[in-house]
Amino acid sequence: MQPRPDWAPETIDVEQPSAARIYDYLLGGSHNFAADREFARQAIATMPDVPVQAHANRAFLRRAVQYLVDAGVRQFLDVGSGIPTLGNVHEVARQAAPDARVVYVDVDPVAVAHGRAILAGDGYATVIQEDLRHPQRILGHPDVKAVLDLGRPVAVLLVAILHVIPDDDEPYRTVATLRDAIAPGSFLAVAHGTDESRPDEARELQRLSRRTTTPLILRDRAAVARFFTGWDLVEPGLVWAPQWHPDSPDDVGEHPELSGNLVGVGRKR
Amino acid sequence: MTELVDFARAWTRAVVGTSYVPMARAEVENYLAGLADRLAAALVAEPFSAAAGYRVGADLAAAGFVAPEALGRTVTLVNQRLLADLGLAGPEPAQPDAGPGPRERLAALLEALVTGCARGIRDRTLDGQEAIRRAALAAREQAEQALRASEVRLRYLALFDQLTDLPNRTLFGERLGGLLADAPARARIGLCFLDLDGFTAVNDSLGHQLGDELLTAVAERLTGLADEGGYLAARLGGDEFALLVPGTSCTDDMVKVADRVLSTLAAPVRVGDHELPVSASAGIVERPVAGADAAELMRAADQALHWAKTDGKRRWRLFDPDRSARDVARFRLSAAMPAALDDDQFVLVYQPLVDLRDGRPRGQEALARWRHPRLGMLDPARFIDLAEDTGLIVKMGLRLMELACRQAAGWPDEPFVSVNLAVRQIRHPGLVADVSAVLDRTGLPAHRLQLEITESALAGRDTGTVETLTGLANLGVRLAIDDFGTGYANLTYLRDLPVHTLKLAGPFVHCLRTPNVSDAAGETILGALISLGHALGLTVTAEGVETRTQARRLAVFGCDLGQGWHFGRPALVPALTS
Repeated sequence: MQPRPDWAPETIDVEQPSAARIYDYLLGGSHNFAADREFARQAIATMPDVPVQAHANRAFLRRAVQYLVDAGVRQFLDVGSGIPTLGNVHEVARQAAPDARVVYVDVDPVAVAHGRAILAGDGYATVIQEDLRHPQRILGHPDVKAVLDLGRPVAVLLVAILHVIPDDDEPYRTVATLRDAIAPGSFLAVAHGTDESRPDEARELQRLSRRTTTPLILRDRAAVARFFTGWDLVEPGLVWAPQWHPDSPDDVGEHPELSGNLVGVGRKR
Repeated sequence: MTELVDFARAWTRAVVGTSYVPMARAEVENYLAGLADRLAAALVAEPFSAAAGYRVGADLAAAGFVAPEALGRTVTLVNQRLLADLGLAGPEPAQPDAGPGPRERLAALLEALVTGCARGIRDRTLDGQEAIRRAALAAREQAEQALRASEVRLRYLALFDQLTDLPNRTLFGERLGGLLADAPARARIGLCFLDLDGFTAVNDSLGHQLGDELLTAVAERLTGLADEGGYLAARLGGDEFALLVPGTSCTDDMVKVADRVLSTLAAPVRVGDHELPVSASAGIVERPVAGADAAELMRAADQALHWAKTDGKRRWRLFDPDRSARDVARFRLSAAMPAALDDDQFVLVYQPLVDLRDGRPRGQEALARWRHPRLGMLDPARFIDLAEDTGLIVKMGLRLMELACRQAAGWPDEPFVSVNLAVRQIRHPGLVADVSAVLDRTGLPAHRLQLEITESALAGRDTGTVETLTGLANLGVRLAIDDFGTGYANLTYLRDLPVHTLKLAGPFVHCLRTPNVSDAAGETILGALISLGHALGLTVTAEGVETRTQARRLAVFGCDLGQGWHFGRPALVPALTS
């Protein structure tokens, strides 16, 4: 895909499947278009438990936010937030900490417009349209500066986003840039798709994803672990999504690897 | 109702995983227990109402249990277990009057629950679809705004000057064209082009930063003036600005505008720590709109501005079609000159330099003429300056010098030939070698060549000039100072330079014009100049000798040679005898 130059206004094409809206559909939401649903159906045909994986990631996000609030974090930077419908970070966080502040970042203009509609009038939560590949622009964005105090701990949430950033776009450097810009005691939460459990199906899904604006880049455990360079992984470390601080042992199930996503939370040294 | 704890747990197991619900399992269990309690209460409520079932179904959907599986499993579970868990599963009492029994009530509640849940799911779906469509519309709207903004920005970049925010040349031309097209036929219009005097020096000495600040300050002043008068101010580029003045009534209106502009700009500009004096030159044009052309008007203003600059700056000049025509003619002449030189259109005429004692010609001054195929014989005044400007004078001067030497070499009685040297020729480093080569080629003895230089060529004389003149003198060539006493006033060069002859300009001789009226001061100066020349061992030649009386009086003063109409006009064939 030819990257859009900065000065060229983007076009909004609802005929093009969008990761944010596909994800919404997989979660059972209705914030999606025919093209998104068509793509999701093909993905499900390739790998029937794709919706389960989406649920598992989303549930991890919820548990991670609750964990971080318990750890005292009151600021969240959710990059690749998608359509903020079911289980918003700010809603989850504010159940325990009403003063929690959240900045959502997504590259999808429709997702961002939807987020703006939801967050209109909320001074503690906002959404900006930006690309994770430009961390300096995110960090320097006036809305980010207005809502977050980077001098105090921030939780950077990179849930189901790093696996659409190819190595050529230097995702490790991006994470390091974010890490270096935020205060010690900050956290990083990652959920990352991997082909370790079912390589054949994963490859097929990867092939399919090339039709979207954000093709999948699946990485192995070691490559995912590298994102936590400079962070101390909290217990239980890098695990399958359902295994990370489950609400109950029943939730883990017999095959947590079917979630297809490795997750972890690290604390900045 | 402790009997429903197991029911709620079973319900949770049945529906968790069917739908994404942002709650922990314990929260889900708690939530579903609440719904189960409401169903239980409805089963025994008097009077019975199925509406409670509807609300439970709606709340199930509202919590996020929107997967069809969640509803299906809920129906099965309620059907199978709820009455039993509540202890209401016994046989129906046969009391026709007692109203509907638990099974009938349960059926009614379930129907209402399914209806409420399905409607809730449907409404959520519709809301979600509407929200995402609105979001897409909003995003598209924003993208279009961004597109418009970028178009506006591109247009701005194309039409406005970034430094001063003033319209640029393109927009100025567009507006002018629009005014010319729309104005009533009898309307008049004026343009004023401006250029700061010596702006390059500001940039060079104080830096571009301060230069830019100066330009911004000038732009502000012009904008103030333009706003007040209803003019359009523009920056045409560099330090050139323009005012478009619509609706003038006469040329004098435009002159007033130019006066105001120049006086407005004349106040010093404070830039950083510097108080910069500012002056500007202006070119103005004012005319009826009818028949006017935007490009032509702008050219006219530009040309008038050029005149203001060449006429000494700090002034305005009004466009004058006659002067413009002369400029054009000069330009054409200038452009035609190189080809004319190759075509040998430049020729020499000779004017005798006569010995005042015996009236015999001692030499001939060679004077250039352009035998123009269309304009006829042109005097040097028409073309020498142009050749100086273009630099062609170097090549032309040498060519004519060679021609003069070749012709003179054949003259009887060996008179000398006097050839004029232009300033640029003297500055040309190869001159001495060139002259030497000319003498060699033509065979003319060096002492028979006299080179005339003006005093102005010696002004600010540098070592190069001194070396050149010394080199020429060393060749044996005679050097004459042309128009002596009219240019450079410092006479010390007479001591330092190898000069042989002074040529006194016509005005010094003119004091001898009227035989009956004496001009004592004039004669004193003339006499002193001749004495000065002789005291320095120089020959003195008087130019502009027009009468026999003048010739006689000059002879009395001891002047050596005379030149002028009295002795002969310039002619293609030299008058070699008296």
